[in-house]
Amino acid sequence: MGFRTYLIRRIVYALIVLFVILTFNFAVFRLMPGDAEKMIIDPRFSPEARMALRKQFGLDDPPLVQYWKYITSLLRFDLGQSFATRRPVASELAERLPNTIVLFLTAFTLTMVIGTAVGVYAAQHRGTFAETFVTGAGLFTYAVPTFFFQLLLLMLFGYYIRIFPIHGTMSAPPPDGAFLRFLDRVHHLILPAGSNVIIGFGSWALYTRNTMLEALGQDYIITARAKGLPRREILYHHALRSVLPPIVTLIFLSLPGMVTGAVITETIFSWHGVGRYLMDAVLQQDYPAAQGAFYLIALAVIISNFMADLVYGLVDPRIRVGAGERR
Amino acid sequence: MRARKFLVPVALLLVLALATTIVSAQEKKVKWEPWGPRVDQIIMPIIKDSEAQLIAFERGETVVLPGLVRPGDINKVKQNPNADITVNLGFHMFYLCFNMRRGPLDDVAVRQAVAHVTNREQIINQLFQGYMLPLTSFVPQSSPFHNPNVPQYPYNPEKAKEILDKAGYKLDKATGVRIDPKTGKPLRKMKIFTPTYEVAPTSAELGKMIAEAAKAIGLPVEPEPMDFPVMLEKIDVFDFDMYVLAWGLGRIPDYLYTFFHSSQDVEAGYNTPGIRDPELDKAVEAVYYPPDLETAKAAAAKAQVILSQKLPYVTLYSRPYMDAWRKDLVTGYVPMLGYGAAQYNNGWTTLNIRRVQGPGGTIRWLLPEEPKNLNMCVASSAYEWEVLGRIADGLIAVNPETLEDMPWLAKSWKVETWEPEPGKKGTKVTWFLEKGVKWQDGEPFTSADIKFTIEYLKKNEVPLYISDLQDVVKVETPDPYTAIVYFSTVSYWHLYHAAYSFLPKHIWEDVKDWKGFQPWLEPHPKVKGLTKVIGTGPFILKEYKPGEYVRLIKNPIYWRLNPPKK
Repeated sequence: MGFRTYLIRRIVYALIVLFVILTFNFAVFRLMPGDAEKMIIDPRFSPEARMALRKQFGLDDPPLVQYWKYITSLLRFDLGQSFATRRPVASELAERLPNTIVLFLTAFTLTMVIGTAVGVYAAQHRGTFAETFVTGAGLFTYAVPTFFFQLLLLMLFGYYIRIFPIHGTMSAPPPDGAFLRFLDRVHHLILPAGSNVIIGFGSWALYTRNTMLEALGQDYIITARAKGLPRREILYHHALRSVLPPIVTLIFLSLPGMVTGAVITETIFSWHGVGRYLMDAVLQQDYPAAQGAFYLIALAVIISNFMADLVYGLVDPRIRVGAGERR
Repeated sequence: MRARKFLVPVALLLVLALATTIVSAQEKKVKWEPWGPRVDQIIMPIIKDSEAQLIAFERGETVVLPGLVRPGDINKVKQNPNADITVNLGFHMFYLCFNMRRGPLDDVAVRQAVAHVTNREQIINQLFQGYMLPLTSFVPQSSPFHNPNVPQYPYNPEKAKEILDKAGYKLDKATGVRIDPKTGKPLRKMKIFTPTYEVAPTSAELGKMIAEAAKAIGLPVEPEPMDFPVMLEKIDVFDFDMYVLAWGLGRIPDYLYTFFHSSQDVEAGYNTPGIRDPELDKAVEAVYYPPDLETAKAAAAKAQVILSQKLPYVTLYSRPYMDAWRKDLVTGYVPMLGYGAAQYNNGWTTLNIRRVQGPGGTIRWLLPEEPKNLNMCVASSAYEWEVLGRIADGLIAVNPETLEDMPWLAKSWKVETWEPEPGKKGTKVTWFLEKGVKWQDGEPFTSADIKFTIEYLKKNEVPLYISDLQDVVKVETPDPYTAIVYFSTVSYWHLYHAAYSFLPKHIWEDVKDWKGFQPWLEPHPKVKGLTKVIGTGPFILKEYKPGEYVRLIKNPIYWRLNPPKK
């Protein structure tokens, strides 16, 4: 099977998965116990007012009509109007997405770079205190509940040592001047992003250490050593390069976590992002808002998986050929 | 046992202490003036996490921590020497509801017995560390319509047993369960629905306490915590025995009709206990459609007596409004009966609050949630009105100490009857407006704005206002400062049904899509620096950064800026 066929097949799979997710997304909120109307209607409303609200949000349509409207609207990238805010979901998500991306791209990049570097270092210093320390710290930070750790940081640096802001993405109001505004943003980013780096670096470090140790035991590394190549070159040019494909795949597969992992951090640090929006929407049974946020997450997951498949297919021809042979 | 005996007097003392604090806070002469505002700017940082809210208050980043509820937070704030806590009776009711459609709860004796084993003081002390007020009537103490002279059911398990014995519910000593006199069989198991411990730990625990107390007198009651939407769904279709929940109420007791009139005993209606009583119907109809205030008061008092006899609910406690203030940074906040000092309904704090260091300047006021939508036609959450309520002004103001109506944008008004058709009576409300009031963009506020708003809301069937305006027949404006609103029915409350925060006609008359209109995102067509969120109130919306803050600045042409020179 050529790369083109492989690519088309992946695209078709992605579209089928997207359709299934969208249908599930539609059904799950309607099957959930409770009535959305209860969340948006005041007890003092008259039956006429309740009817008007139901009509306004299309809740009086039969489920199949609602489903048809939902699918056709999504094709037009119309995510509907939030029950809770009466605003277009697309604009609400667009308002929040940049904040989520900034927070988690920063946290993710730092976690990945620091985690990988620490993992390589630990592998390089096998059997030393450094390796024991990295493994222990990695396991510890991986095991600590995110919310607990973030609340501790909030108390420590927000209350006892008052050096960091405790909420928001900027000061209220922000300082004048582009550079000062940039610094202000960075200042606000330190606690939420930093806490995610500390929580997340452990798993990257342990994964890199393990794969590196495996690679360092391979024959070609022994050959390289026998050839008298410098230690540094063996480590970075041979061992690390050989473990890069699974790490690159892991990067793509971890990307959706940018959105889903946002819920706790955004709640604790009052960060105006998609995660908090999703949580509020689910709690308020705000179908359009929750559906919009899940749609975004589904897209992120499908695109990330697709990219991972693509990269793997490009890097390792056995994957695409193998996929063809199974058929 | 000894600990229990000791607990009760301690609980009583704590509750009494709180009641005294509240009463003394109410009675303390509050200084307030109908002029202001006294600061140049209010910045409202949006902080959603409760720990972060406390830290921001401790750091002095916000001067107010509104709506304190958790005893832990209250105790923490109390330790801060710079904090002052204002306490006001609230329009809040927590209750246990019976399903009167089902036996044996259809028997008033069983309901009375449950009421007698419900130990309010213990609940308040154990679950809320004393920070609630016991409630024994169906209108909270904060309301001028509260009637304290209703039949009472103090905690008395012996009395409860006596009532059940008298009604024929004999105790089967072998099983500890009473026998139903109607069937001759042991009483069926009954459940108290509560939200889960994760969502509402105090409500779940409270349900457990009442169930245990009922069990001790031979009533087989079990608590059943459940997911909140599931609970609401079951209540909607009357699939319950008992449940505990709270109501946030208002100044007007028309909810007595919504909650207890037999016409509301329908699926998904608000008469969840299913009470159907002709005498009560008559009383709550008079509360809902009173020709005048006195009739409303008398009817509400009577309805409370009937309700206390029939007991569709056991009312448990009312939560006072507690707001914390940084007294080293600000002063001039005004406690208000029913609403607290920090709520948007209390316009007096908005006008009178000032910095300790002097007039003008900026204060920082916490917004615990996102305001989300600043379109007055769709804004429904308290957080949206925390912003809009400081930009808009009403026709009537409410005295913070007595809750009596006070002239505001309307310098006076008349409530009369008229004949919408021969032989039928309706209400006619005439407003006489203050002259010289201007919208924040300089346009005059006139009766045309009132007529436009009422007709616009009615024509577009704006859901939030349908109930209030459904009886409006027409609006007349004989001159720019007089507006007459005609209703097809007789009710004194129509006075409030036509006393909104009005829409500026010159902005809204071109708005075709009232639902999608986002006035805070659109610049004002004529005045630079303003948006289309325009009111006649003391503050102007300067900036709203979603998720970050709202910035309000003083309205330099506010009509109540300074007292008139003598």
